[in-house]
Amino acid sequence: MGKKAFLFPIVAYAVLAPLPFWLGEYYTHVLNMCFYYVIMAASWNLIAGYTGQFSLAHHAFAAMGGYTSALLVIHYQIPILLGIPCGGILAGAFGYFLGTLCLRMRAIYLGLSTWAFSESFRITLSMAYKLTRGDLGLSTPRLLETALAFPYYYIFLLLALVCLFIMYKIVHSRVGYYMRSIRDDEEAALTMGVDTVKWKRFVFVTSSFFAGIAGGFYAHYIGLLSPVSVDFNEMAILLIMVITGGLRTFVGPIIGAVSIELLSEFLREYGEIRMVLFAFLVIIIMRVNREGIVGIGKVILPKIKSVLPSRQL
Amino acid sequence: MPLLSIQNMSCGYFEGIDILRNVSIDVDQGSFTGIIGPNGAGKSTLLKAIFGFLHHSEGKIFFMEKETRRLSPFQIKKLGISYIPQGINNFPHMTVRENLLLGAWTFKREKDRIKKGLETVYDIFPVIFSKRNHKAEFLSGGEAKILSIAKEMISSPSLLLVDEPSAGLAPKIVSYVYEFLRRSRDEGITILLVDQNINQAIENSEYLYMLEMGSVAMEGGAQMFKENLRDIIRDSLIGT
Repeated sequence: MGKKAFLFPIVAYAVLAPLPFWLGEYYTHVLNMCFYYVIMAASWNLIAGYTGQFSLAHHAFAAMGGYTSALLVIHYQIPILLGIPCGGILAGAFGYFLGTLCLRMRAIYLGLSTWAFSESFRITLSMAYKLTRGDLGLSTPRLLETALAFPYYYIFLLLALVCLFIMYKIVHSRVGYYMRSIRDDEEAALTMGVDTVKWKRFVFVTSSFFAGIAGGFYAHYIGLLSPVSVDFNEMAILLIMVITGGLRTFVGPIIGAVSIELLSEFLREYGEIRMVLFAFLVIIIMRVNREGIVGIGKVILPKIKSVLPSRQL
Repeated sequence: MPLLSIQNMSCGYFEGIDILRNVSIDVDQGSFTGIIGPNGAGKSTLLKAIFGFLHHSEGKIFFMEKETRRLSPFQIKKLGISYIPQGINNFPHMTVRENLLLGAWTFKREKDRIKKGLETVYDIFPVIFSKRNHKAEFLSGGEAKILSIAKEMISSPSLLLVDEPSAGLAPKIVSYVYEFLRRSRDEGITILLVDQNINQAIENSEYLYMLEMGSVAMEGGAQMFKENLRDIIRDSLIGT
């Protein structure tokens, strides 16, 4: 398994690398957004799916990473590639702070507190307009000298694969089991000798760090940041992606992020109605199978296999 | 000094309301000690206090001559105490083997010890071995209880706290569980058993404490409890 895990991202990179040559500029941009959402959805799944901490501040950490990096680059002229990790680290630090505040909270209380945090952050971004230019939006220097999606594709693809690889390693390690034990039964986890406080903080920090990094790359790709990115709709989209794809599964958020982002682009002309459609989709999926598309696949695939003529081994 | 020594300990779930008052209990190395008493006497609370789920307001708890004040459960586990709570506390979405590994990771750096622990547990509980790759949620009630016990045993504790092992189990499995506890004691594990089943507790323990309304009402050897069994059961039913 160890070698396979290493091989997979390399193969995936090689397979996905030629795509922009067929797709053209616009769809390459759509794919870049897909990669951004893949990182966001998968890192939110770490905290919500695997550890059971239903945080609603993930989009705020992404914006925090973006704004931090952009402001550092603009005001202190540091290189962008240094600014982005700084954004990630600050997001991770705030993740630690928020995680510590919410240690004793569960379910809806954790959700409400983290939501309150992200709303306060959004309002602060608007109010501190001297620094952030508020609702006017902050134009951010781009990572590359071009605004074309094509070269960024390779950066986002690489970033997404590296992030997913690290998350895969975490989820399949000892720590991954600690996370799941905390989700299933915190008291039982304590009985087993799991330092629940430490690992909950660890997950808050790690997932916020990933969000901060993704937010940083996003900011220096799009070239504009505004408090709208901390709107609850943004968190709702993440939630829809993870639940549609399959909460608590590793592949689920990846499938969910790509399919919802693509669907969202195809239905762009319908505007806000899309959210209604997505809401229906979530309700239907929760009714059919709580593990989303992955769960439905798990039910259907064996049936297809049993119908197909079996290969003799 | 005994392996575990509780001295004049008081504790409760809310400040100012103590469930246990001025409780003193000694558990000798290698012994099988029983705690009995009517419902609501504070038996389970006592185990929770020892394992660090509750912090005591007064008194002291010593384990291996070290005071355990303010330690968290995971730290107490590292000292060598394991706690088998009432009912079943497995992780349903993990396989049996993963449940066991979680129990073994207290010694994450000692791979040989983990491997040996797994082998020993498979040896003692063949049921667990045959179902090691099943998800824990698909085990029967008895198997699940055995897994709850097995995953505490894998860390080879010095002291095992057992809370009501017979609750909700078929009589056949109950006797299997007690036999296993006796065998563990023979192998050198000290056992502190809380039980509502007074007969079983007296049968298995060498020394017993009876709790009533949060205090120790009576203590002595198993023989003494056996002789006064009728009075004890009457007291415990009436709760006076």
